[in-house]
Amino acid sequence: MREQNPLEHEVARVIVDALGLEEVNAERIDPDAPLFREGLGLDSIDALEIALAVSQQFGVQLRADDEKNMEIFASLKNLTNYIRENRPSG
Amino acid sequence: MSESSAAPGVERGTPGAVKLILRLALALGRPSTRVLLLPITAYFFVTAPLQRKASRAFLERALGRKPSLLDLWRHFHCYATTLLDKVYMLADRPEVLEFRLHGTKGLDRALEQGPGCILLGSHLGSFEVLRVLALHHTDRPIKVVMETAQTPEIDRVLEDLSPRIKDSVIPLGSPGALLRVQESLQAGAMVGFLGDRMVSPNRALPVPFFGEPAHFPTGPLYIALRLKIPVILFFGIYRGGNRYDVHFEPFLAPTSISEEGEPDLPRELGRYVSRLETYARQYPYNWFNFYDFWSR
Repeated sequence: MREQNPLEHEVARVIVDALGLEEVNAERIDPDAPLFREGLGLDSIDALEIALAVSQQFGVQLRADDEKNMEIFASLKNLTNYIRENRPSG
Repeated sequence: MSESSAAPGVERGTPGAVKLILRLALALGRPSTRVLLLPITAYFFVTAPLQRKASRAFLERALGRKPSLLDLWRHFHCYATTLLDKVYMLADRPEVLEFRLHGTKGLDRALEQGPGCILLGSHLGSFEVLRVLALHHTDRPIKVVMETAQTPEIDRVLEDLSPRIKDSVIPLGSPGALLRVQESLQAGAMVGFLGDRMVSPNRALPVPFFGEPAHFPTGPLYIALRLKIPVILFFGIYRGGNRYDVHFEPFLAPTSISEEGEPDLPRELGRYVSRLETYARQYPYNWFNFYDFWSR
């Protein structure tokens, strides 16, 4: 696994906190591994929790009708890139 | 949970026959099709031993005595009738049926409390009576959250009947499913969930049901508590002839969620299951989970 970049690390911590994944070390989440089903094995309720936390922490709204949704939730890397691109500036 | 216990066998048993009923139902009208229900029920009755066994096991608990063959027949016939009536409800022809709505004042009050609300239904009676609500509350969109098609063939026929149906279903399975639920609720929608069908063992808890623990999904109530959305229970009970009694019960108010601090999910789920049991005991022939509900 490649090393997380700083924002990926921040997002990983937010995910672990939001989902109460006590047994998961945020630093050990592979940025390229799938978050759902295989990989971390998250489900749609986890996705809702992540969306609420991301909105609160980063001011970025994840939208259901976004066609790239599957892609955004595919990995820590993709989710982080989406947050970086849609973050309110400043 | 294994595939076989997740899906009611009668529903997926003979899609060809079911499809035929659906088409006949609309072509011939309800009185004629009801006559056809007798041979169709007989066919299911004879060819579905596992469902007969499940029916017997449930009725014995609910009736508190050994069910007779007539009880089992009544159970099957009640189910077949609601399956037929599903066509009229979904095809926007509910006028052939008589619906008596109970508790709509509670529903209206709940709708004033939040932008939207969760309507928690079950396989007790007809879940599709939800569609009839669209006539009562014309200003509210209705969405229905479902597992991805358990009965794809039937669904396809129904979609042909009413294209709007497809838009109103939010299929579970994709990560964004509940984001759609959240957005629909914020837009004021009434979102229907099934409260008695476990989707994932990770999101279920055992709760005593007719004296023995059975697994119930925690998802719908979790979402309601998390998003502070009012929950209304509903039961679309088939009463014979062309009559349905639709009961609404305010169950969870957002105000009670915020005041009591940390929400107690197992307690709320237990409260729900107890209401479900009360209705199931009163209307046992409306119980449409034709598999071993207490398995695992």
